[in-house]
Formats: sequence, C-alpha cells, structure tokens
Amino acid sequence: MKDPLAKLNGVSETPVHAVLRIRILQIAAVLLFGVLLALVGRMQIFQRDYYAQLANRMRFREIALPAQRGVMYDRRGELLVRNVPSFAVTVVPADLPDDPAARARVIRRLVELLHIQDDSWIVPPYRQGGAGSPANWEAQALAESLRRREGRRDPITYLTELLEEAEALAPYQPVVIRSGVDRDVAFTIEEERLYLPGVQVTVQPQRSYPAGELMAHLLGYMGPIPRELRETYISQGYAPTDQVGLAGLELQYEAELRGVKGRKTIEVDVAGREVRTIGEITPPTPGNNLVLSIDLALQRATEQLLAKALQQAKSPSGVAIAMNPQNGEVLAMVSLPGYDNNLFAGGIKPEDYERLNADERRPLVNHAIMGQYPPGSTFKIVPAAGGLQEGVITPRTLIRCDGIMYVPNQYFPDDPTKAQPFYCWIHKYGHGHGAIALEEAIVQSCDIFFYQVAGGFQDFAGLGLERLASYAHAFGFGELTGIDLPGEVRGLVPTAQWKRLNYSESWVKGDTYNMAIGQGFVLATPLQVVNAFAAIANGGSLYQPHVVRQIVDAEGRVVQEVGPQLIRRLPVEESYIREIQRGLEQAVERGTGRQAALQGIHVAGKTGTAEFPGKRDAKGNLPTHAWFVAYAPAENPEIAVVVFIYGGGEGSSVAAPVAGEILSAYFGVPRLYSGE
Amino acid sequence: MRKVNWRHFDLLLLLATALLVGYGVLMISSAVSDSPGLQELPRRQAVYAGIGAALMLGATLIDYRHLRDFRYPMYFLALGLLVLVLAVGEESYGAQRWVNLRFFPIQPAEIAKILLIIFLAAYFDGRQEEITSFRTFVVSLLFVLPAVALIMAQPNLSTAVSLLVLWGVMAFVAGVRLRYLLGLLAAGVLASPALWALLADYQRQRILIFLNPSSDSMANYNVWQAMIGIGSGGLLGKGFAMGSQSQLRFLRVRWSDFIFAVIGEELGFIGVLILVALLLVVVLRLLRGAIRARDMMGQLIAVGVATLILFQSVVNIGMNIGMLPATGVPLPFVSSGGSSLIAFLMAEGLVQSVNLRRLKVEYPLASRVGGSIP
Repeated sequence: MKDPLAKLNGVSETPVHAVLRIRILQIAAVLLFGVLLALVGRMQIFQRDYYAQLANRMRFREIALPAQRGVMYDRRGELLVRNVPSFAVTVVPADLPDDPAARARVIRRLVELLHIQDDSWIVPPYRQGGAGSPANWEAQALAESLRRREGRRDPITYLTELLEEAEALAPYQPVVIRSGVDRDVAFTIEEERLYLPGVQVTVQPQRSYPAGELMAHLLGYMGPIPRELRETYISQGYAPTDQVGLAGLELQYEAELRGVKGRKTIEVDVAGREVRTIGEITPPTPGNNLVLSIDLALQRATEQLLAKALQQAKSPSGVAIAMNPQNGEVLAMVSLPGYDNNLFAGGIKPEDYERLNADERRPLVNHAIMGQYPPGSTFKIVPAAGGLQEGVITPRTLIRCDGIMYVPNQYFPDDPTKAQPFYCWIHKYGHGHGAIALEEAIVQSCDIFFYQVAGGFQDFAGLGLERLASYAHAFGFGELTGIDLPGEVRGLVPTAQWKRLNYSESWVKGDTYNMAIGQGFVLATPLQVVNAFAAIANGGSLYQPHVVRQIVDAEGRVVQEVGPQLIRRLPVEESYIREIQRGLEQAVERGTGRQAALQGIHVAGKTGTAEFPGKRDAKGNLPTHAWFVAYAPAENPEIAVVVFIYGGGEGSSVAAPVAGEILSAYFGVPRLYSGE
Repeated sequence: MRKVNWRHFDLLLLLATALLVGYGVLMISSAVSDSPGLQELPRRQAVYAGIGAALMLGATLIDYRHLRDFRYPMYFLALGLLVLVLAVGEESYGAQRWVNLRFFPIQPAEIAKILLIIFLAAYFDGRQEEITSFRTFVVSLLFVLPAVALIMAQPNLSTAVSLLVLWGVMAFVAGVRLRYLLGLLAAGVLASPALWALLADYQRQRILIFLNPSSDSMANYNVWQAMIGIGSGGLLGKGFAMGSQSQLRFLRVRWSDFIFAVIGEELGFIGVLILVALLLVVVLRLLRGAIRARDMMGQLIAVGVATLILFQSVVNIGMNIGMLPATGVPLPFVSSGGSSLIAFLMAEGLVQSVNLRRLKVEYPLASRVGGSIP
C-alpha cells in the first residue's frame, strides 16, 4: 500500500508504514544503547569499588622470596652439599611473535641453542608441576612412552605444536623447555633475548653434592612435592612448585634446612612478571646448616674396602657402618650399590630413574637401615646376656657339644628315629666343641651351647622364647633405633603368636634354638646389630644412633648440639657384660674373628654366617650372608664397626678382614694377619 | 543520470564516523603502548581508514540504483567469497575467517555482508508489488540461507546470526508480513533443540559458559578481565594508557574485540558515554537517510547498514560487560581490523550515495505527516 499523499505530492515513494517501521528501528537503537549505558554505568559508578578491588588483586601479588637452603658439613668441616645456580629456559607462548615465520625462527634458534636432538625430554605443559624442573616422573614416563610409540619426531615440529597447545590452554603460563641448562647457553640466550621474544631464562638454586655416590644414601636428594603430600606441604607454607627433600637428611631435616621465606608485594603483568615493588620487603631467613658426625675420609675408605670385598665375594650388595659406641654418633655408613644423588638435582631423567628403580640390587635403598637380614651368630650376645642375667648359666657353666644333638619328637618322645637333629657348625668337620663354658662358646661361636642356653635341653632349663625375646628387645632388636634418617625398618623378633598368625603353626623348641643363633625368623638391620654391640662395648648403654651432631645457623652459631641420647641401660649386670666382652676379645685374639685383629690395638668382635633361603651349593648347603661386628680398642672402645656382605659366605673369612681394614684405616695401624 | 545534490551529503554522519575512527586509532595506540611487537597496529588502522575513506567517496559517487542490475553477480560474488574462505582460508583461533591477499589478510565475510545488503535491497525493491506475499518472504529467506550456512561452516556463529537479523530487519522495513517473520521466529525458538545439535562443540561450550559463568574459568577469562577493567574504570577512568588491566595485558585482543574495555577502563563512564553517543548518532543518521531515500532500494540499503552497525555494537559491548556470550564481533569503526573498517566505510559511502540522490524537497516527511502541501 502506498501513501496517497506522497503520490499526490510526487515528493517521495517512501510509504508511511515504512517510515513508521524505521522510526521503530530508531527507537530500538536509542533503547538498546540506553540499556547498555545503564548497565555500564551501574558497573562503573555503583560497583566500581568491587571491580577496583578485583583489579588490584590482579595486579598486586604478594610473592615469597626464597630462602637460601642450609648446607651440610662432615665432622671435620668438609662441605657436603652446595647450592649452585641452575638455569631453566621457559617460553611464554603469548609473547611469541604472532607472525608464523618469525615464530618459526625463534623456535628453530631455541632448538639449535639447546642442542635438542629429539622430543624425548619435553613434558606436555599441562602435566608440568611447576617452573624449574620437569615436574613429576610419572608425566615424564608418559612423555617417554608417547615418544616410543610415535617414534622420534622432528623437535621443531614438536615444539611448535606443543607451544600452540600451551597457548590455547594458558597463554601466559611459562612452559619449561629445558631445565639444568649450561651456563654458556643461558648467557647466549640472554644476549639474544631481543631476537627471541617470549623466551626467558630463569635462575634457580640447585643442590650439588660434591661427594656424589659416596654420601647419597645419607644426604638424600630433593625434588618436586609428591602429589599425595601436596596439601600437607602447602599448609606448611610451601608453594606447589617448591622443591623439597625427598630422601635422606634432605628429607629428615627439611624443617631446619628450608629456612623462612621472605615476602614482598609487587605489581605484576598478566604473565606474572614483576613490574615494580610496592612497600616494604621482609627479607628471607636462610636455613640452618648441619654438621654431620660422618668422617668423610673414613666414609671414603669404608666404601672402597666394602666395594672391593663385594667384588671379590661376587656379592650384589653390602653394608658397612662405623659408629662411636660412647655416644651413638655414626662415623661412616655405606650401603652398596649406591647411586649419584646429583642425578636428582634439577629433575631426574626418566630413563635414569627407571634404571635405578628396576635394578634388582635396589641402589636407591639404604640397606643399612632399610635392609633386614638374619643376623646369624652376631645375635648370640642376646642369649649370652640373658642366660647370665637370668641365672640360666654362670660364666663357668659347662655345656657339652658333640657337634649334633637330637631333640625328641614331642609326640613320640621315646622313638629316637623320630627325633630331630640340631647341628653345630663344626659338625661338618666331624667332631664337636666338647664341654665348654660361655667364653669359649663365644670364641668358637658354638651353636649347641646357645641352643641349650636359649631353648634348654633334657633336664637343663633354658631361657625360653619370652625371655629370649625380651632380651632381644632390650638390645634394640625388633625396634627402631630412632636414627635421624627416614625409612628405617624394625626387623623382626618373633613371638609365638606371630608364628601362629603367619604360619598357622605353634611355636616349637626348634624355633627357639634357631632364634638363639640368629637364624629362623629373627631379622635385623645392620644398624641394629652394630648398635647392640656398641651397648656391649660401652658397658651397657644403648644409645640412639645419629648422623647429625650439630645444627648451626647461617652465622655459624650453634642452634642445637646433639649429644648422646640414651635409649636405655641394658638390664644386664656389668660383670656379665664384662664376661661377654672377654669372649668377644678372645674371639678376635684366637677364635673366629682373627682376621680383624690389629697390631697393638685390642679388637673385640663376633662373626656371623647367616643362612638364607636361596640356591643351594653343590654340597646342598644354603647360601649365607657374611657378618662381622667389632669394636676397638677393647679396653676403651671409640669405634664400633659392622660389615655385612649379602650372600658373601663365611663371616670369618669374608666380612672380618673388611672390618679389620676399616679399623686399620681408622687407627692408622696395620692388621695383624693381613698376609693370610 | 539525475543530478546529485551535494547539499544532501550528510556531514554530521561523516563527522561522527570520523570521530569514531579517530577514537579507535587513539585507543588502539593506548592498548598496544606497552607491547613492542604491536606498535604497527594504530598506524595500520589509520592507513586502513584512509583506504576506507577513498572507497567511501567512490561509493558515494556511484549511483546506487545502477547496482540493481548487478544484484545477481553481487549475490554470487558474496557466496563465492565465502566459499573461497573455506577453500583457502587461514585458520586463526580455530576458525577459518581469513583470506590472505598479497598485502593484508581480509575477512571476506565483512565484504559479503555489504554485498548481501545491496542484493536484498534490490530484491525487495523489485518485488514491491508482491511484498506481502508468502513467496517474497520465502524466496528472500532462501537467498540468505546459503550464505548463513557457509558462514556457519567457518565456523562463525555470530556473523551467521547477524546475517539473519539483517535479513529480518530489512524484510520488516520492506513490508514483509509481520506474521511470517514472527512465525519464523517462533519456529526457530521451538526448533532450537534441533539447532543445538547442529552447533560446533566450541559454540555450544561458549553458550553454556555464558549461561553458567563459573563452569569454565579459562574460557571466560577474557570477558571477566574485560569486566574488571570496565568496572574499575569508574566515572573518569584511570587515564589514557594508564589502565592496569589493559597495560599489564590481563586483557587479551584488547586492541580489537575488547577495545571497549580499554575505553571503559582508561576513560571511564565519560569515555563510554562519548563512544555510545557517537555510535547512536551514526545509526540515527543512517536511518534518517533511509526515511528520506528516493526509493525502496536506497531506503533498504540505509536500513541494512544501520542495522549491521547497531547489531554489532550491541553484541560487542554486551560481550564486553558480560551480558552476551563471547563472540568475535568487532566494534564497528573502533576495533582494530582493516576488513571491518573498510567495509563499514564503504557501506556508509553507499548510504551517502542514497542521500545525494534523494528528491529535492528538504522535509518531505513533515509535508506528508502534516498533510500540508508546500
């Protein structure tokens, strides 16, 4: 329909209703813009404070200033841990050039500078725990398996795709391209930073362990916070990206070493980069330093001697510990095989971790405190002390050893064919020890003597399981020693109930016999063994062993002095301990421990040859661990040593010489029979 | 050809447009003042404005009525451009919207929108006698749908919607029966569950995020940063190149899609008021041109251009203040970007062409409404 007036006028062909509709449009435009203005006005005028607060929260950030982590020294002041700067190269995807050609140039140069050969080391950004280190091993393993499946790809393509992915996810979150970058490379990148937009070099302190493998089990290592402990650490003031001690002293003394972070408020841009500092800075407090009781020189000698012995005995693993029996200070602690804890600094490579983890000899495990083995004859000090104290024997009580004894079957006591034979080790030479008293029994390590002291025989009443076990506990077996290292295990002192639960069998007298000579069910760590002997050596005080003797602040002031910490006095009269000491002295003088004897210094010691389930030899004998525990000088002991060689054979011929060499290195005195 | 009357050139429209473009260049330079890699942008925008101004003049000089004869070539050129994007376009932020010409990348959809305005104006003009028929309604819609489908395939939901709105408003003003248009709208609402199935994942995601902002903090990040910027700007703003959200780069693409947030933060409500007033002047002056046009084609061209500017402004500002879903719609004349700026300037030239060729009488409307004969 046309406007008749318009036609009449010849003025316009625009119909009236069209004009009305356009007017509606105009009104709509005014209304729409009006509504928008009202909405914006509400935000800007009435809600301004709310948004301003949010804007400030975006731009101001309270950041933590990292505290210098404490270092560690050996007892002579030798530096064991250093903090060294480590360079990580990161890329902020949003800051890369937009132009694809320019971006490709940056990536190509980066690949060139970092000598990236393939894509194996790159972790997808959404799996990275934090800046500084390629975060968790699981993610790395994943990247590794991906790489294997897809084959090695061209690093430039891979990096380009990775950064594109990262840009879509979190454009301003820095992606760690490589950590632990060489100083020279880091400086080159800094010099070229104008041509490498988006690329940043960050500096972070990293631990360096000059002694490497030698001290790795003691010092431990650091790494990213384990996922399952995240909340715990964060509640203690850690940032999710912080490195924390994960093993050894780094873990044990984390609270001392970490120090207190400082704080400052900064203005940041969207990438979190500091624009300027606002207000006062609270400076960080450096962590405390540790002075260890370890003597690095003795540690080194011990390691070399043990390594040589393992090689000769074709043994997969072994332990040697030296400690001061007067106060529980550990002077040397070696567990072989070891690992280089420097591998962990700055993030361990997945293949390294996999290799260490897959190794059957378990190099990551400190066998000195985490390995539990049958202690063999070293355990005989327990029935000896218990037997004397409980009046089961006197020092002059004679017990006859024929090399073999028959225990009648408990259901058919009159049928000798059903009796069970128990052997002394000497039986294989075709005779027994004859009638001997305690001292000689220790010197010869007679098994039948201790069978009977512990389990009784015929009319002779022994200690019995309960009393034997209670003395074992008194010596620290089956209990944590409480050493200041993480991961210690208890070992095992069995009870009748334990056997019923685990084997559904009753405890029989034969079990007590086996236990008396450190076989059967009883298990101990090398540290428990040496600590029990230290208590004999010092006249009856069981001390808590420790590795750290002083905690010192950054200015050198002693914060804490770790003195001797008595666990308990042995419940054994000193005269009885003297009897055992005499036996141990004689064992080295003329018995099984002669290989440990020194020229001019009296050594006391005890061998152990502990059978363990394994492949029997040609004669049908089970394989044995070789043990030797010693202390010296016998009159006033200042060092106690244990040597444990896994599957090494005879304690007397395999472990005793090593203990002798360690003592020889400590005193600077040659061994008496080193020629043999 | 009839004589043109330069007295009818809409100077106020030109002035408001020039102010908007200048405002844009200024704020782009503020937005990128701290980004060394982007220093080119404001200068480039000024160059585009120059090219746009030349094309605007060219469009003004052309008699728009001649375009009627080229309506089908123009229609197929529009479709061809959209097909070209799909075939050779470069992907950016996950959508193919760009075609790289030798000198600068263009977004063919911007050009296609203008071509479709001319085509629809010519089409409705040619069917004035049967404008109320169902056939006109259906056929005009069928012409638009292929373009909508092609744009959806890029995928670019917002431009597709803007085309449908454009068609709807032009059809409404042309005189297509309101009941058809409302019927279609109702049908669209009823069919929305089915349409939902046709959307790309990211499009559904965005709509969901808009409806439930806390569901995805990352995707909603940009809008949230824009809102913080605008709200914290207050009445007077934080000052030119002083906005913490803009200058510390919490705002992404602050020079284009989020230029409004930079204005709101740095120049405050006063700056927003000026911007909205200028946009309103442009839209109202374009519609004024529509009212005075000599014929339906000119009228509909002006209506189409005004609608597009109004729609895009509302959608862009609405997105900046978190009232509408996040889409990649630039703010007309202000956002950095050559294609959009040049296309809008050219379109405005066409409306000026309509202005120049209207009938001599100064106030025809008054004469009609007032009923007096001068």
